Amino acid sequence: MAYSDKVVDHFNNPRNMGSFKKDEEGVGTGMVGAPECGDVMKLQIKVQDDTIVDAKFKTFGCGSAIASSSLATEWLKGKTIEEAQKIKNTDIVQELNLPPVKIHCSVLAEDAIKAALADYQKKADEKTK
Amino acid sequence: MPVPLEAVMDHTHTHNPSGRRELQMARSMCWHCSSEVTGEYFCERCVKVQPVSKDVDYFTCLGFPRRLSIDQQRLEAKFYEMSRAFHPDFFQGKTPEEQTISLANSALLNTAYRTLRDPIQRAEYLLDLEAGAVKEIRTTPPADLFEEILELQDTLEEYRSADRTSAAGQQLRTKLQDEQQTLERRKTDMETHLQRLFAEWDALQDRGEATDAARATRDKILKQMREILSNRTYVKNIVNDLVATIS
Repeated sequence: MAYSDKVVDHFNNPRNMGSFKKDEEGVGTGMVGAPECGDVMKLQIKVQDDTIVDAKFKTFGCGSAIASSSLATEWLKGKTIEEAQKIKNTDIVQELNLPPVKIHCSVLAEDAIKAALADYQKKADEKTK
Repeated sequence: MPVPLEAVMDHTHTHNPSGRRELQMARSMCWHCSSEVTGEYFCERCVKVQPVSKDVDYFTCLGFPRRLSIDQQRLEAKFYEMSRAFHPDFFQGKTPEEQTISLANSALLNTAYRTLRDPIQRAEYLLDLEAGAVKEIRTTPPADLFEEILELQDTLEEYRSADRTSAAGQQLRTKLQDEQQTLERRKTDMETHLQRLFAEWDALQDRGEATDAARATRDKILKQMREILSNRTYVKNIVNDLVATIS
């Protein structure tokens, strides 16, 4: 099964590839993996005043995993923490037209978003203590 | 009426837990003459081949107990014996129903054999079968390992874009070669650990105790196996990337 045009586009021109320093102010880091295929995904958000001002990712895996995380960073930018929580893997599946065998890639991206948000929250809570 | 192919060939890794008690080699009633099937793969009365139930797991299909150490020679012998019984070539002149059953049985048999033949795939499959009963079998991602992998991927990226004949390129290459060796050693260690867990699992199953302690041990072994198998996959992937880039 061939990849959809959108997957190919994200694969060839990944958006927001890279990383922030983990201990940087307002940065939340999510690292997740898929044990079945061994794909590894790192997704980071930079938050200011409850809004995600920047997002970056690094993914080592198949085209769908790269496209899913690339798309996720695009969507995250400009969203509030609350809005970001609402991103679902099914939204990614729909946008990228992922076939059933690649749905786990979108799940991985959702997990990465959740992990990054949780990490940001944890760091913020520690600061206010 | 012929059995639709896709229905009989749909052998996924998932199993119906409620159907586990009725696991059997062939359906108990012959699809053709409705008599009780007493033979192993064929109805003794009308001599028709019998479909292997979809609920049968691969261990049962090949007549092995659910253990992680398997006698490879016995497995192979059993596979050949069953292949000869089911092979579609022997059903050329038979009815469409029998041809369909022969094809479906052969497909199931091939998948079962391929899965059980490889120790890692066998363990992954056993985990799939047993996982339903184990809570939280999904372990937390190994953060240290991920950090290491991501860092290594960065170095790989650097090497790919570097001039490989330059001193810096050579240095990177040596570094990556060292990493490859370290990781391969770790993969071997993981496999040794897995072998130990496999033996523990088999011993536990052989004892067949139904105590809380036995159940706790069982869950612990399964969880450890899941964790090491996952980590092994991550390590295997990065080793493959290393090998592909520097050799």
